[in-house]
Amino acid sequence: MRKIDRRIFLGGLAAAGAGMVAGSNVVLAQPASGAGSIDVHHHFASPYWMRTADGISPSTMGIWHPWTPQKSIAVMDEGGCQKAIVSVTTPGISFGDNAQTARLARDSNDYAAKMRSDYPGRFGFFTALPLPDIDATLKEIAYGLDTLKADGVGMFTSYGKYYLGDPIFDPIFDELNRRKAILFVHPTSAQCCAGLLQPQITDADIEYGTDTTRAIAHLIMSGKTIAYPNVRIIWSHAGGTMPYLQWRFMRETRNMPKYPDGRQPTFEDEARKMWYDTAQAAVAAPMSAITKMIPMSNLLFGTDYPYNTVKDIRDGLANCGVFNADQLAQIGRGNAVALFGHG
Amino acid sequence: MSAAFTINRRNFAVGLAAAGAGVALAPSAVRSQPAGRIDVHHHFASPYWLQVVDEVAPATAQLWKKWSPESSLASMDAGGAEKAILSMTTPGLAIDNEHMRRLAHDANEFAAKVRSDHPGRFGIFGALPFPDVGACLTEIAYALDTLKCDGIGMFTSYGKYYLGDEIFAPIFAELNRRHTVLFVHPISPACCTNLMAGITDADIEYGTDTTRAITRMVFSGSTVRYPNMRVIWSHGGGTMPFLEWRFMRESRNPAWKDAHLPDAFIGEARKMYYDTAQVAIAAPMAALTKMIPLSHILFGSDYPYLSVKENVDGLATCGVFTPDQLAAIDRTNTVALLGA
Repeated sequence: MRKIDRRIFLGGLAAAGAGMVAGSNVVLAQPASGAGSIDVHHHFASPYWMRTADGISPSTMGIWHPWTPQKSIAVMDEGGCQKAIVSVTTPGISFGDNAQTARLARDSNDYAAKMRSDYPGRFGFFTALPLPDIDATLKEIAYGLDTLKADGVGMFTSYGKYYLGDPIFDPIFDELNRRKAILFVHPTSAQCCAGLLQPQITDADIEYGTDTTRAIAHLIMSGKTIAYPNVRIIWSHAGGTMPYLQWRFMRETRNMPKYPDGRQPTFEDEARKMWYDTAQAAVAAPMSAITKMIPMSNLLFGTDYPYNTVKDIRDGLANCGVFNADQLAQIGRGNAVALFGHG
Repeated sequence: MSAAFTINRRNFAVGLAAAGAGVALAPSAVRSQPAGRIDVHHHFASPYWLQVVDEVAPATAQLWKKWSPESSLASMDAGGAEKAILSMTTPGLAIDNEHMRRLAHDANEFAAKVRSDHPGRFGIFGALPFPDVGACLTEIAYALDTLKCDGIGMFTSYGKYYLGDEIFAPIFAELNRRHTVLFVHPISPACCTNLMAGITDADIEYGTDTTRAITRMVFSGSTVRYPNMRVIWSHGGGTMPFLEWRFMRESRNPAWKDAHLPDAFIGEARKMYYDTAQVAIAAPMAALTKMIPLSHILFGSDYPYLSVKENVDGLATCGVFTPDQLAAIDRTNTVALLGA
């Protein structure tokens, strides 16, 4: 009884943030922290990755010192978040040595699995993939999804000059399609555009969002969303800048590939089949735009921790004037439960 | 007599325009105020520029070979535009560095002739031969003093230089001194040409380069330093409004205090103007209106890439604007800015 009370209390806190009230039997079915939000865009750093990336890209790594899983938990608790699906972030794990990349992927995945077991119910993870090595990536997909039971896999928007619609990625999409896997896509400093406006304007400000738009456009225009319809894709940061370019993409419809039965989809038809997280976009302008283009059911709560706190994004969504309480609850939790099949 | 004739002509043009805007005007209102649309984003090609483009970018030249001042007027009439402010477009003037001064000067004189051949229908944003800063200052004087252009047109980036970089300081100081309107158009940026098969630079890279230039202008302190230079950004600001959260947080970065942004990024962004070309649809218009005052949104078509009417219909059906707001975007906001 005491334990249930605690659950209800914490659930209540979380529910206040998400704008929902969970029934007591729902609360009973939940882990100790109650029916709070699910953060699909939450980063972690294994000690091995931190050491390696420190030596290669020290300026991007400052934010991680120090970081522990407990810091994530504290930020999640503060922001009413039950569970975070963790993923690796920039500068990624590919530094030009395939063997090292494979080790970094395996170590990151094992580390994330340990976080999950150390804090039951608080973490899930997207399997890090050792791209651009395709064979190693196929092995890691099997290890991540079969052995570690990860929630999905994570990829970056571009690898050097290759965007996600490029044929070199076909074996990976084939495998993800066969498995009906969830693919979380995160941007990186694109090869074209790293440091263009430094120091005043960081790559994260403009280039990340743009590279996400490029990857979305390339994947759709190359016909991959039609060829691999079972891959369920989550795009970071509300799709980068894609919704703002709606007119441009609408007019590309005539250049779009067709469905197998010969029907001509629009760009928007394909864009609406994918999911978009709220990280770095929890403010009026981008949220007003994305809700004009993408169904509410395909918006997922994401924070981009440690670059934002969970509370930053929760408050941004609540205050942006675009969503009612039901919609906030849907974004905070319901849509993710529907996508992942569990809370 | 000639004044009466002019008024009658106006009535006729206004009637056409009003039909396009779906607005019924009382006769008295018609007499006191010709209410046609003003298109601030409308391109032209001088024969000399087209000849050079044909040599370096023949595919681009094809579109322009079908263009004439009369084709502009036909699109304007079909879309209810009384007046279009002409500007140059991609690939710009850097296609022939050796003759850039002549390209700019010739384009400006050609636009002035189009304007005088069709009184009341055209204005001009004068072209500049950047990176020759001295020649730019000469051309600014010629365009504004001699040709009486409505403002100056520039591109978002010139090679590695983005508007707001120190190299532009003498130009901006002059535009600031003159209280000039600066219309900024994107171009295929040096970083990002033909990155992906099947996707044009115009789809993603133009909008992005506009965002880069806006942020460079603001975070370099240029909008504060040159407050009298009134800037119009193409295409609803590129992708800038969608990245509101990023810039909001960048304003808190203590490293940029030297930019002296008393109103932060958003405050500076709200002082500038944004046209509707290529964004006359629900998602971007919903975003832009959350961030930028309605009085700073101006009708633009991007003709000949789009017809005037496509933009008119897009704005009317996007579900974001009331008729009064559409009228402000169509004309009133631009009259307030250009005094035209």
